[in-house]
Order: sequence, then C-alpha cells, then structure tokens
Amino acid sequence: MIKTGTTHWLLHDIKNRGITAWLLSGLLTAFYLILYFTEWFTPVARGIGLDGKWTLYGVLYTLAVTLGGVYVIRKYRHNRYQVVRTSVVIFVQATFAFSIPHLLKFLHQPEYYFSYFWPLKMDYLTPSYIFSLPLPFILFSFLGSALLVPILGAFFGKRWYCSWVCGCGGLANTFGEPWRHLSDKSSTAWKIEKITINTVLGTSFLLTAMLFISWGTGKSNPELARFTVGFQSFYGLIVSSMLAGVVGVGLYPLGGTRLWCRFFCPMAALLGLVQKFGRYRITVKENMCISCGLCSKYCEMGIDVRSYAQAGKSFTRASCVGCGLCAEVCPRGVLALENKSSRDPQEAVLVQIQGANAARPLV
Amino acid sequence: MHYVIVGNGVAGVTAALTLRKRDLHARISVISGESDYFISRTALMYAYMDRMNLRDLEPFERKVYDKQRIDRVRGWVRNLDADRRVIQFEDGREITYDKLLLAVGSVPNRFQWPGLDAAKEGVVHFVSLQHLAECERLTSSTGRAVVVGGGLIGVELVECLVHHGIQVDFLVRESWYWPMALAKEEGALIAGHLTRHGVKLHLEDEVTALATGPGGRVSAVKTQKGLDLPCEMLGICIGVRPAVDWLSGVATPPEIGRGIKVNRSFQTSLPSIFSAGDCAEFARRDGSPMLEQIWYAAKRQGELAALAMLGDAVEYTPPLFFNSAKFFEIEYTTVGDATRLPDDAKSFFHCLPGEAASLRIVERQGAVIGFNMLGSRWDHTWLERWIQERRSMQEVVQQLHLAQFDVEFGRTKLDRIRAAFAEYQERDRRHVA
Repeated sequence: MIKTGTTHWLLHDIKNRGITAWLLSGLLTAFYLILYFTEWFTPVARGIGLDGKWTLYGVLYTLAVTLGGVYVIRKYRHNRYQVVRTSVVIFVQATFAFSIPHLLKFLHQPEYYFSYFWPLKMDYLTPSYIFSLPLPFILFSFLGSALLVPILGAFFGKRWYCSWVCGCGGLANTFGEPWRHLSDKSSTAWKIEKITINTVLGTSFLLTAMLFISWGTGKSNPELARFTVGFQSFYGLIVSSMLAGVVGVGLYPLGGTRLWCRFFCPMAALLGLVQKFGRYRITVKENMCISCGLCSKYCEMGIDVRSYAQAGKSFTRASCVGCGLCAEVCPRGVLALENKSSRDPQEAVLVQIQGANAARPLV
Repeated sequence: MHYVIVGNGVAGVTAALTLRKRDLHARISVISGESDYFISRTALMYAYMDRMNLRDLEPFERKVYDKQRIDRVRGWVRNLDADRRVIQFEDGREITYDKLLLAVGSVPNRFQWPGLDAAKEGVVHFVSLQHLAECERLTSSTGRAVVVGGGLIGVELVECLVHHGIQVDFLVRESWYWPMALAKEEGALIAGHLTRHGVKLHLEDEVTALATGPGGRVSAVKTQKGLDLPCEMLGICIGVRPAVDWLSGVATPPEIGRGIKVNRSFQTSLPSIFSAGDCAEFARRDGSPMLEQIWYAAKRQGELAALAMLGDAVEYTPPLFFNSAKFFEIEYTTVGDATRLPDDAKSFFHCLPGEAASLRIVERQGAVIGFNMLGSRWDHTWLERWIQERRSMQEVVQQLHLAQFDVEFGRTKLDRIRAAFAEYQERDRRHVA
C-alpha cells in the first residue's frame, strides 16, 4: 500500500511504471538518441568548457554514479558488502572510466579505459585500432580479455566485473537503484534471455574473427573488407548504441536497470559461462526460507531467487551479477554470496569433528 | 484417485506438489476460500509497506499449477461427509474425494473485551489477505493505533503502521516482549529498538474495554493500568488457533481437540482424511496436545502428510526446534531450547557493544541445548549439529566462525565474543568454587 501524500504517490509512481516513469523513460531515451545521432550536445559541452559531447556525457555519467552511489551507500549503510562494493563502483567510474582516460589524452596518450574489456568494448580487440596503440595498451587489452577476465571470473564469479567494475553495471546499481525490482522474473524471460545474450555473444565473436581475417588478408580481399566494415558499423549501431544506451538506460524506469546486462551484453554472457564453472555461488540455508519473495522481487537480473531458496538449494546462475541485494533484503538471512573452493572447507572440518567424536553418543 | 486438499497455504500446496511428484496420474484439487493462488502469508507485511505487490506474494509462477495439473478450486468448505466421501461448499457445490487433507490453517484469537461487539469498524487482525485489505482500507483514516499482543504478528503489524506514519501504542501482557521466545535481556533489546522507532511499548498491561465513536469505529482502548489510549485502529494479534469451528457442524466431524486430532501419520479419526499444518493436533508422548503453528512446521508437515496419503509409513517427530523472525531491522535466529529453561541450565549471553545484536548459548549438563541470536546471521544447520552432537559451550564458542552467515566484509567480530565468554567462564568457575 502506498503511503498517503503526493510525494509518496509520486515516488511510487515513478518506481512502478506509472505515468511519471513513462515520462522519465521518454526523456532518457530522447537523451540517448540525441547523444548518439545528433551533434546537439556539442555546443552545450563547448559552452561549459568541455571539448565535446562525449566528455559532457562522461561528466554526467560520473555524476549520476556518484550521487546515486552516495544514496545507495546511505540506504544500505548497515551492510558492509554494499558499502564496500558501491564505494568501489564510484571509485572505478571516477578514475578508470573518467579521469584517467582524460589524463592520458592530456598527456598525448590514447584515451584508454582500463575498466573496459573486449567483448564489451569491441575496439580493444579490433586489430586496426588496437595495434595502432603503444605496446603497453596492446598487452593490457589482450591479457585483460584472455587472462584477467576469465581468471577473476573463475575465482569470484562475474561479480568482480559486473557489479564492482563495469560502468553499465555501476550506473544500474547506483542511479538505477529505484528501478531494480522491475526486472521480469518469469521463466519465459529467462528463456528469452538465454537466446538473446548468447546470440550477441556469438555475433561479437564472429565480428572479431572477421575483423582479424580482414585485417590479415588486407587489400587482397576488398569484398571481405567492405563487408566487415559494414558488419562492424551495424554491430556498433545495434549493440553498442541502441541496446547498451538507448534500450539499456532509456528503459530503466520501465524494464528495470539491467536490461542490457541481462539480455544483450556479450561480456556478461562470457563471464556467465565462466561463472557456471567457477567458485562463485549463492548459498542457501536449508529449511529457513519463508517464501516471502523479497529476494526475487529485488533481483535486478530477474532471477527467481525464491525458487531456489524455498527449495533449500544453493545455486549458481550464469546471469547473477553478485550485487548481493537478495542477501540484503532477505528477512531471515537465508542467502549468502560465497566463493567456494571445490572442496567445501566447512565439510573438511566436519569430517575432522566427526572423526574425533565418533565415540560420543548422539541424541 | 482424487486427492482433495482443503487449504492452499504452505502445508496444503506443499502436500499437493509432493503428491504430484510421486503420483503422476491422480487428480489433485486444492481448495481455498482466501485466494486463487498460494500466497506467502509471511510477506503480507511487505505488501502493506509497498515493498511488494500482491502478485509478488505468490511463491510459484501461476503456470506451475497447470504444469503440475493441480486444480485450484475457490470457495469456503462448509460440510464434510466422510461416509459419502464428499465435501460441500457454502454455495452447495460438492466435491467427491478419495483422500482428503485438511490443511485449513488457523484464525486469529479474539478476546471478548467489553465494547468489542459494538466496534463495527477499526478492529483488525493481520493473518489473511482479507485482513490486509481491511488494514489498508483503514490506514489513511488512522492517526493513532493500538496493537495488542506481544508476539511476531503483533510486531509485524506495528512495523507496517509505523511505516505509514501512524502513532502506535503496543500493549504486551507479559513483563517483556515475547517471553515465549526471548529471554528478558533480548526482550529489552527489542523493546529499545521499538522505542527508537517511535513505538510506545506498554509492558504488563492489557485491554480492559473498547470505546467506539461515530459509525461504530473504535475510538479508544482502556487498559488495566488505567491508560486511556485514543485510536482509530485496534490490531488484535494475541496468537492464532486452528480454524476448526466449521467442523463442529458438519455431517461427520473428525475428532477435535484444540485442533484436528491426528496420529503421527497425519490421519484424523475419520478414514481417508488427513490433516497437516497449523490446524493439526498431535499427541505428545505424555498425551498433551502438540500444535506447531509456524511456517517451517507447516511446510514439513505438508510434505510428510502427502507421503502418508500416498501410503508410505510415516511416523512424524518434530525435528529440533528452530525458528526465525525479524523485528524491524533486527534479525532473529533460534535453535533448540533457549528460553524457559530448567534450573540446571546455564546460559552465556553477550550483547554486542554498540550494535542492536546479541547472542545467547545455553548449556545443560555439559552440552549445548539452545541458541538465541539477534542482529547477526548464523547458519542454523551448524547450531543444530552442535546440539545434536552434544558439544560443550567451550567447543561451540571456539567453532563459532563456522556458523557465521553475515554478509561478506560484515562478519560479526568473534574475538570480543570469545573474550566475553572467557570472562563468563571465569565467573562461572568462581561461582562453583
């Protein structure tokens, strides 16, 4: 039941797909369309002393993450995981995703974002671009995607990236906090998600392969080169601009905050695959769930956490970004995020205890 | 085979799903007067506080019932004829069963205070969807409310009312909050927390009469200590009792005590009729009635009752007691016996300084028998294990880290607890000496 009063009505309305939510969604979508497809923001940026619309966007983005982050830290101040995680998100956005690239540019170095990796940032494995950079950047790009991403993913799950480092996830978990519960929890949505996200992943691999082939064969195959360029700009338009920006953020107030991450992001798909075979999991306390459903309601990835919790089954879902909100909202402390080694250390201790006390009678 | 289940609460629905798991062909019908779909009663408060909507309260996707071929029938059952194997609805409709499960749950207790009958509006409970609707209807016209009853549902209703900006007087008959589950120190901790939320807690006081205003709306509550508390809403949360009143008037009533009497195989006194959940009454070994009116027990009983209906040999024994709750922000986990202890039990209690958190470990004859944990998270399966293995308190405190379940980076510091335990042991030794 909504609290009485206009302010409360408004807050409910904007958070629950009311008329104000549609308006805000329209505004956000318009913002992204203007940003991507016009130069209207360029004079605005120059007017306040910035060098272009993308710098303006960077400023706004960092501001949104910071202000939203402060709100989130305040809201969950009793939860150390949320405080630490959100602080890191703000820090990464302010440094790796904003000041450092600009500083590099100022120092006449490439504007490089150390917090982004292929296949989220296709450029970083696009040969014509990446090989034009100084060697350290080339190394970071290759080692980042080939080693850092999968190794950290295996140990900590995809959360090390998706809810601690990534800018898209960062915005969702800070500015997007009021809309996290809007994600679709149905099993149908889960089916669709598996198809769409793996399609994008496959497409990104295919594009990268073609970029390398076309770069390798050079001028000897102009047909392929032309096709690859077209494919590349098609992917850029559909995936990077439309799905990540316009749909991803524009629809926050209607579809929840992780539409992009859940349905389309190739990086999330890749990390999800690693996560399925890695150590990360959500541990469920047996028999303690009361099926209230707060965990499912506040899962931004649309995972029906309750279905696992009420069955008493610990689980790992490829889509889980490890934001930890299910554990936060659970009124009975049933859920915990864990990175378990294959042999559960608790079980090891247990065997010891049982061995030592075998003679002791049980009640 | 037609299995009919009266009641779509957690016991009834768990039973239905268990039946389907084992019997792929039987017809299974679940009857409810309250709702079309199973809802989580424990989450009513979150709907009241707008943290969820009603649809979110449903623990299963709606298509699950079609997939599992579980027929949902809406209506209040009013008659039961075990000879003809028929149940009858309020409106005359009849359903024939082969095996019947009565999982009808419970209804709120009432006490006949003077003035209660005259109060036509403003007196509420907080157990069913209908109660929730009634509470919501009254909320916007309520500035002050009185809640009676020092249990879990009481504090849930208090939290909801406080959320909606209503000034709440909370009447608790006992000398501290929830003595059924909490010792005096924990009760005080919760009381302090309630007070910080602006709740006026009145201990050792109870309602003596109600006053009503225009339209029969409750306007004030008088108490034994002489308080006259103005209010537009009175929440009665003094426990629940099995919903068995309707069974006394049916064609073939099963044997009723406080609830529907069943043996350890969930069989009532009538053939092919079983009962589970809040409404089922077992006999303890000493013959006294045993009712388990909590969520976990209902779920457990529903599953086992289904097995009994399938013909399995079932001998129900409640496992070691455990329960959980949340009082505003303070989470609570309990296992075993932690209150109302025998004289030879010893209890280590530690309040974490600066936090609304405490832990209590109870030991008897050298073995731990219970835990009461407030404000931090513990894996109850470890606590259960320690009780079953008859660990000493000393061992348990040493191993406590194994059972910690707090969020990452937010684990309760155990060194202080261990230091406090060392002091406790020292005191204990001196006491013995």
